[in-house]
Amino acid sequence: MLNIKNLKAQIEEIKILNGINLSVNAGEVHAIMGPNGSGKSTLASVIAGKEDYEVTDGEIEFESEDLLDLAVEERSNKGIFLSFQYPVEIPGISVSNFMKTCINERRKQQGLDPMPATDLLKLMREKMELLNINSGYLSRNMNEGFSGGEKKRNEIFQLAMLNPKLSILDETDSGLDIDALKIVANGVNKLRTENNATIVITHYQRLLDYIVPDFVHVLYNGKIVKSGGKELAYELEEKGYDWITKK
Amino acid sequence: MSLINNLEKYSKTLLLSTEEKNDLNSFFSSGFPNISDEEWKYTSLNKIVKNDFVVEDLPVFDEDNIIDKVSLGFKNKIVFLNGKLVSSPKIDGITISDFKSFKSKTNNSILSLNSSMARNGFSIDVENNTVLNSPIEILFLISSTRNTFLQYRNQINLGKNSNLKIIENIHSIHENLAFINHFTQVKCDENSIFEYNKTQNNKDNFSLIDTCNIYQEANTTSSVNTLIFGGSFIRNNLNFEQNGENAESNMNGVSVLNGSQFADNHTFVDHKKSNCRSNEVYKGIYLDKSKGVFNGKIMVRPESQKIDAFQSNNNLLLSDESTIDTKPQLEIYADDVKCSHGCTIGQLDKEALFYMKSRGLAEKEAKALLTYAFTNEAIDKISVPEFKDKCEKLIAEKLNVKLDFNH
Repeated sequence: MLNIKNLKAQIEEIKILNGINLSVNAGEVHAIMGPNGSGKSTLASVIAGKEDYEVTDGEIEFESEDLLDLAVEERSNKGIFLSFQYPVEIPGISVSNFMKTCINERRKQQGLDPMPATDLLKLMREKMELLNINSGYLSRNMNEGFSGGEKKRNEIFQLAMLNPKLSILDETDSGLDIDALKIVANGVNKLRTENNATIVITHYQRLLDYIVPDFVHVLYNGKIVKSGGKELAYELEEKGYDWITKK
Repeated sequence: MSLINNLEKYSKTLLLSTEEKNDLNSFFSSGFPNISDEEWKYTSLNKIVKNDFVVEDLPVFDEDNIIDKVSLGFKNKIVFLNGKLVSSPKIDGITISDFKSFKSKTNNSILSLNSSMARNGFSIDVENNTVLNSPIEILFLISSTRNTFLQYRNQINLGKNSNLKIIENIHSIHENLAFINHFTQVKCDENSIFEYNKTQNNKDNFSLIDTCNIYQEANTTSSVNTLIFGGSFIRNNLNFEQNGENAESNMNGVSVLNGSQFADNHTFVDHKKSNCRSNEVYKGIYLDKSKGVFNGKIMVRPESQKIDAFQSNNNLLLSDESTIDTKPQLEIYADDVKCSHGCTIGQLDKEALFYMKSRGLAEKEAKALLTYAFTNEAIDKISVPEFKDKCEKLIAEKLNVKLDFNH
């Protein structure tokens, strides 16, 4: 599904990604771990298409198509979803209004009529239930005044609504207490199928107890320095990143 | 000929009272305001008044379905065609009549011009205890094959415990210049509630000076929502005077301008009694070479304690060539007062745009939605759903997107 080859990227002349190679197939969960500043969030942003980063070398293919030529929204509409580490507050636009606009703009591009309001509401309620979100939530402004946990839940709610092929969860566990973590992880797990894939970016092994990865990669200095199965995460938890980075 | 000459000539055709003569002389001695006047520092009338205008003298026109096209469809409609009142509704407890001469409490050259020679307008008297649930829609439609100068002089009197909502639209249809000097005086007696919704949506041949003076007695709430979507020149003077305790004055404004359009909102709240409130939210969005001015004056008199006054003016400059001059002007002479104000000038938040695009919205739609979100704090205060819908449609139209901003 996703093929990254020798990806190099920089921001304002500062090299951050120094040759990433990664393959993700449908049905798989990949965890990307690494110390602060290793390039984890940059990798997520570059896949999503954030313009601040300049890709200087390498390629990203998504379903055999060159991704680097596509705009942010085109990547989204091809089925890539980024759950933000720091979701943006948008005062003045409610969750339901935002979701309605996103869904219907996508349908417009697919040549479909807008989704009838009652169907849309039904769909939203169904996904809210999945994430234990109460009903007052839809009329609140996007992320405005949300707690850390509510913001992350709102990310996964949008993920559920947009039903992407590839989900990238950037530090979804940060700012979550253990109960919220379980709810969010449970939501992600229920949305998994053999046709979609997930990349989980995290500092800690904790989240991986709930979203169990098939592969774990360690990112350091903009390169994947070690890959393995889920047991690699436990090893990192026990020995720290020094174990790998000092080699 | 320039407008001053046109006006001089026109004044000779009128029979003027002594007072009107005095007002006229005072106008001619000072002339139109110019940029050396502090209140008009950023706002020049020169380009308009140098033109040759026909003053007032226009036939009523008969345009196919024009009223239906412009109207929001409310049952209670007052319609003016080229200055002449052509229809007004009959409503229990409310007397609506054609222009009546009245003296205004304050004066300046623009108002002197208006008080001396305006002969068009409406008068609405709401009896005590009359509550009208559906708004009255007032349409001022202008259509002419010549440059036109028109004046309206209106008054609204709300009785005790009454409630009135107005939707006003001054609209020019044809391609010639139209310049309107519009004045409305509103008196709100005790315990009354008043909401005045204005749309100013015209082509680039349209210029407007709209002065609205609102006098509030005790326990009244008065709100004016001003939605500006176009016109080559718009100057709004919105003045509130609180003459009784526990009065509340609300002002909300949204301007969305493009091309070389210009809009100036001057507001003034005079807190003359204690325990009163004012809330002011103005949002400006400027594209292309458009220009905006905001001047918000709040006066708290020495004897007025426990005043709660809030003012904000937020502006988005969406092009390199657009400009905004904004000035909060607070004069506070009492000590037990809560007064806050803030103004911002900025661009759309890049992080928010990336966030929205990552959910599949194209650049143009994401920008439009974010811009709409920016205006929403003001739009949200409008209590008439039909008017709110119309404004949301006009914002989408102005931003050139087919988005339905409705909740």
